[in-house]
Amino acid sequence: MKLLLVEDDKQAGAYVKRALSEAGHTVDLAFDGRDGLMLAASEPYDVMILDRMLPGVDGLAILRAIRAASVKTPVLLLTALGGIDDRVEGLEAGGDDYLVKPFAMAELIARVNALARRPAGQAQQTVLRVADLEMNLLKRAVTRGGRRIDLQPREFQLLEYLMSHAGRVVTRTMLLENVWGFHFDPRTNIVETHMSRLRSKLAQAKGPDLIHTVRGAGYCLREPD
Amino acid sequence: MFRSSSLRLAALYTAVFAVAVVLLGATTLYATRQALSAQFEARIRTETAGLEQEYRTEGLDGVLEAVHERDETPGALEYGLRGPGGGALAGRLASADAPLGWSTLQLPDGAEHREAVRVYASPLGGGYRLLVGDETEHSEALDTLLLQHFGLAFLGVVLLGVAGGYGLSRGVNRRLTAMNNAAEAIIDGDLSRRIPVRGASDDLDRLAGTLNRMLDRIESLMHSLRQVSDDIAHDLRTPLTRLRQRLEAALEPGAREDVSATLEGALGDLDAILATFAALLRIAQIDRGGRRAGFQPTDLAVVARTVVEAFAPSAEESGAALNLAADDPVMVDGDAELLTQMLVNLVENALRHAGPGAATVVRVSQADGGAVLSVADNGPGVPKAERERLFDRFYRLEASRSTPGSGLGLALVASVARLHGADVTLDDAAPGLEVRVRFPPVVGD
Repeated sequence: MKLLLVEDDKQAGAYVKRALSEAGHTVDLAFDGRDGLMLAASEPYDVMILDRMLPGVDGLAILRAIRAASVKTPVLLLTALGGIDDRVEGLEAGGDDYLVKPFAMAELIARVNALARRPAGQAQQTVLRVADLEMNLLKRAVTRGGRRIDLQPREFQLLEYLMSHAGRVVTRTMLLENVWGFHFDPRTNIVETHMSRLRSKLAQAKGPDLIHTVRGAGYCLREPD
Repeated sequence: MFRSSSLRLAALYTAVFAVAVVLLGATTLYATRQALSAQFEARIRTETAGLEQEYRTEGLDGVLEAVHERDETPGALEYGLRGPGGGALAGRLASADAPLGWSTLQLPDGAEHREAVRVYASPLGGGYRLLVGDETEHSEALDTLLLQHFGLAFLGVVLLGVAGGYGLSRGVNRRLTAMNNAAEAIIDGDLSRRIPVRGASDDLDRLAGTLNRMLDRIESLMHSLRQVSDDIAHDLRTPLTRLRQRLEAALEPGAREDVSATLEGALGDLDAILATFAALLRIAQIDRGGRRAGFQPTDLAVVARTVVEAFAPSAEESGAALNLAADDPVMVDGDAELLTQMLVNLVENALRHAGPGAATVVRVSQADGGAVLSVADNGPGVPKAERERLFDRFYRLEASRSTPGSGLGLALVASVARLHGADVTLDDAAPGLEVRVRFPPVVGD
């Protein structure tokens, strides 16, 4: 993907750029808000990564300017501000996701991938499919190989999130935020527990494991290797 | 001295009243003079008319007689009758050559004095002239009296104003100086000082009261801030030191741990430190209180259901039970995210301390108009002596010092509860521990 990174800390910027490039993306790096705004308005990007604290200029102001210029590219905000209201403020300013520094590189990569929009023209899907697993969003029903699988509401939500990010890594934090709505880190690994229950239920319908654990990153639902 | 606003005000009022006295005096003087003057002249005219009538009925002799008679009467006016050639015929005024109509004459009174006499001269038939008049000092006596009195009043007002103003401003200045001194002491660093309240319930006292409440708030914020930096300084030092030692040990030539393992361990340590740091900051943010503005009606039963459902599988896996007992719905005014985090902390604490085989119950109910959220386990419980200290930041039960966790869990619970106006109690669940959070009734119920 083509990414724009706006980060004033040169060392951090270089580090993130290298990691993203190694993950297969093309990265344009801007060191201040003005350059970032100019690039954002003139080039098409798949995802923009914007540091909230920029010299002389509030990252949110840049974000609002970008949105005001009708640039609809998804934006991931990076910030040292982890306050309760800061996230809401960032999202209200037009951001799509919010990551508090310091973060694990795997977290950033997973979130960037999650933000990439599906190609335009694809209608709102009512049925998600991965291999022989099928989820009907309208009927709230899951089948595998034609055989119906009974899921608890939360398990359904978890599977839905995995399936709508099929082929991409989702981190524990992303799951906590999007499936449970927890914007904090519980000490207990509830994600792992629920994931293993979901796995056993999916395994009832015979077939290879579709949910893969990606060490150091999170989980990925994809076609079997 | 003239910078005192109360003195300026007093001076202004004094000036206004003094001017009022002057104006009042002037108008009274003028009006009185006019009235007296009119009365004075009316009397003279009446006398003149009377004597003219006398002339018409009794002739010259009658007038002469009348004038003589009046001359003898004390308290009467002055009269004069002049003949056709200007000769003085009768009366004290007869020698004065006054023109017809009104005029003022200066007549000798005794050896050295002259006095002013207001005279009206009218013609009698046959060339005779009648003069009737009176000494002007009779109408002027009141003038002097009025002037004297108003003069005194003016002086009195000015003196009272000056004295009163001075006295008043000294009283006000004393209070303001006291307030200023307290404020200076506070600026210099003594945050516990408060501005003196005199108990007069006036606007200065109200101001002092409001400022004192502002100072209370500032002091509590400073305290909170100091606490956070104390916590960070003292309690993050330990894990940071541990981390440093781990890295240092790995650098040594005979190091046992391989580099990858060391780095992974170090990352883990760092993450734990960052989590502690984040928790400390969150508690400080909650304590700042600003969050209260975004409160919404929140159903505690829904919050509880989410948490129990999220943690029940993990509990089961460790051989424990986690269940929910909730009436539907139980509303509070609050922040759903913070309430969720609070309940998660309580549930995790219960699961951790109760141990395997224990049962924990989350109960949501209504009591006395307010919501009650309780988490009770049937584990070993907490001895009474340690229950109070559980809320101190970083305090860990001796028994659980070896289990992971920063000890901030209950401190956060206390913070969130405080923000919601709820109170938290720890009771013996016999066996086990019950943590009860009692919320105030929802406003507007």
